[in-house]
Amino acid sequence: MNTFKLYIRSMGMLLRSHLQYPSSFLLQTLAQLVMEGGEMLMVILVVDRFETLGHWSGGNLFFFFGMMSVSFYLTEFFGRGVTGDFPSMVRSGRLDTFLVRPRGILTQVLCGGMDPRRITCIAVGAASLILGSRLSAVVWTPLKVLALAESILMGCLLILGLFLIEACFCIHSVKSVELVNALTYGGRSACQYPIDIYPHPLRILFSTVAPFALTLHVPAAYILGSPLYGWPLWTVYVTPLSGALIFAIMTAVFHRGIRYYRSTGS
Amino acid sequence: MRISWPAGGHITVSTRASLNEGDQSVSYIEVRDLKKTFTVRKKREKGQFFRQKDLVTALDGVSFSVGKGELVGYIGPNGAGKSTTVKILSGILTPESGSVRVGGRIPWEARREHVRHIGVVFGQRSQLWWDVPILDSYSLLKDIYRIPTGDYEARLKELTQALQLEPLLRTPLRLLSLGQRMRAELCGSLLHRPELLFLDEPTIGLDAVSKLSLREFLRWENKENGTTILLTTHDMEDIAALCSRVMVLGHGRKLFDGKLPDLLEQYDTVRTVSVRYEGSAPALQLPPGVTLSAEDGSLSADGELRLNYAPAQMPTAQLLALLQEAGTIREMTLQPENIDHLIAAMYREMDL
Repeated sequence: MNTFKLYIRSMGMLLRSHLQYPSSFLLQTLAQLVMEGGEMLMVILVVDRFETLGHWSGGNLFFFFGMMSVSFYLTEFFGRGVTGDFPSMVRSGRLDTFLVRPRGILTQVLCGGMDPRRITCIAVGAASLILGSRLSAVVWTPLKVLALAESILMGCLLILGLFLIEACFCIHSVKSVELVNALTYGGRSACQYPIDIYPHPLRILFSTVAPFALTLHVPAAYILGSPLYGWPLWTVYVTPLSGALIFAIMTAVFHRGIRYYRSTGS
Repeated sequence: MRISWPAGGHITVSTRASLNEGDQSVSYIEVRDLKKTFTVRKKREKGQFFRQKDLVTALDGVSFSVGKGELVGYIGPNGAGKSTTVKILSGILTPESGSVRVGGRIPWEARREHVRHIGVVFGQRSQLWWDVPILDSYSLLKDIYRIPTGDYEARLKELTQALQLEPLLRTPLRLLSLGQRMRAELCGSLLHRPELLFLDEPTIGLDAVSKLSLREFLRWENKENGTTILLTTHDMEDIAALCSRVMVLGHGRKLFDGKLPDLLEQYDTVRTVSVRYEGSAPALQLPPGVTLSAEDGSLSADGELRLNYAPAQMPTAQLLALLQEAGTIREMTLQPENIDHLIAAMYREMDL
C-alpha cells in the first residue's frame, strides 16, 4: 500500500508541475479535445454513411470506439511514464537517478509521468460510450458493469504492456523504435472498430500479440447483446485477463532488460 | 617580499582524524579487477550490409579498496572511466567481470538494498523535481526512502542549516542558481543518511564562493557523520582541499593511488616561478635545469621574469637563494603544474 501512496503523491506533484503553466496547460487540453473529437467524427461519418458495419449497428460502433478511447487515454493519463516519457528518461539520464533509489524501476517510471491533458480525450471516449449504450439500448446489469470495469482495467494493462516493448528497445539502443508504434497506436486505431470486420491476419495479430480483441471486444460484444463469435458467457470474464498476462510478461522482460542498461554520458 | 602559494602546491592536506580510524583495516569498498566494455555501433559504410561494431574498453582491470569514513578523490581525463566506476559502484551498470563489494553488498545484484545506503549526486543531472518547491521534492524523497518522520525532520533541519537552504525551501528548483541547485541536490541525496556518498563533478561550473562553501560542507558531513565520500572531479583544488587520498584513472586503468603530495612529487616534473624585481631585472646566469618560460627568451611585457625548472634537478630552495642573490625581489609566485600537465606527464611515463 505504501507504493500506492507514493504513486498518488507523485501524481499530485506532477499535476502541480503541469499547473505551473496554466495557459499552456489549458490550450493543450483543448487541442487534445479537438484531436480526439476529430477521431470520433470519423466514426460519426462512417455511421452516417453506412449505418451498419458487418452486423454491428451505428450505436454499437460508438460503444466500441468509446471502450478503446477510454482505456487508451486512461493509460496515457496515469501511465505517461511508460507510454510517452520513457525514451526521454533514458536519454536525459533520469533513469540513472531512478536506479539509485530503493524502489522498483517500473514503479518509479510510472510515478515519473502523467498527462492530465488527456482528460478531454477520456471525456470524449466516455461520451461516446454513453451514446453507444443509449443507441444500442443496453440494459445494464451488475454483471455487465463488472465486465465493463474489468475490460477497461485489463485494456489499460495491455496497453502498458505493449508500450513496455518499446521501453525494452529503448534500454538497449537508447532510441525509440517506431516499429512498435504499429502495435500501440496502430492497435488503438484498428481496434476502435470490432475485430470481426477485419481479415484473418489482422484478427490473429489483435488476438495474440496485441490482444485488444480479447480484452475489449469480447466483453463489449457481450454487453451489446451479441457475443463475439457466439462464445459462451464465461469467456467474457476470462479472455480480458490476457491483458494482465501481456503486462506480466513484459514487466519480466523489462526487468531483465534493465540489466543490460548502459546509461548515457557522465 | 610576498610569496603567494596557490593551492595545489605544497599543501599540507588536512588529514582529518577520521571517526572510524579503527575501521580502516576492514575496507568498506572492495573492487577487484573490474572490467567494463561498451559496444559502439559505427555508422554503416557503403557496400557493407551490417554495421561495424567497436568495442570500447571503459574499465580494464581496476582494483582498489576504500575504508569507512575516507574521503577519496577520483581524477582522470574525460573518458577515463571515472563515471563508469561510479555507475557500477552505485548499481546502475553491471560490469563484465571483476568483483565489487560495498559494505558487503554486490551493488548490481542487491540493487534496492544497496542504494538504501548510498547517496549519489550527478553534477550534470538533477534528482529533484523541476517545477515544484524543493521542500516538496524532499518530502517525496522521504516517502521513496521510507524515512521515519522524526528522523527526516531532524536531518532536514541539520542539512538546511549546514547548506544555508532555509530561505530557498519554498522556491521551485528551476528558479535556483547553479550553486543553489547543487546545494539543494546535496541535501536531497543526504536526507536518508547514506554511509557512502558519490559525487560526480560536484563543483563543475560553480563560482569561487560556492566552491569554497561546498567543500566546507563536504568536510563537515564527512567529519560529523562519518560519511565515506568518493568524489570525481577535474578540479585539482577540490582534491587538494578535501581528499586525503587520490586515485588517478586513465584509459580504464588505475595509474596512481596515494596521497596528493606524493602524486605531485612523482609527476611534478616542471614548475614555474615568476619573479618581479625592484627596478629592472638583473641579468641572470641560468643554471642547468632552469629555462625561461617565454619562447623568445625575453622578459614578459610587464617586467616579470618567468622561469621553468625541474624540482628534481634544481631544488626549489636553491633556486630561491639564487634569485634572491641577483637583486631585490618585489614579488614572487611559485606555480605548481596544473592537473592536465600532471596527467599528461603520467601518460608519457606510463607509455599510454
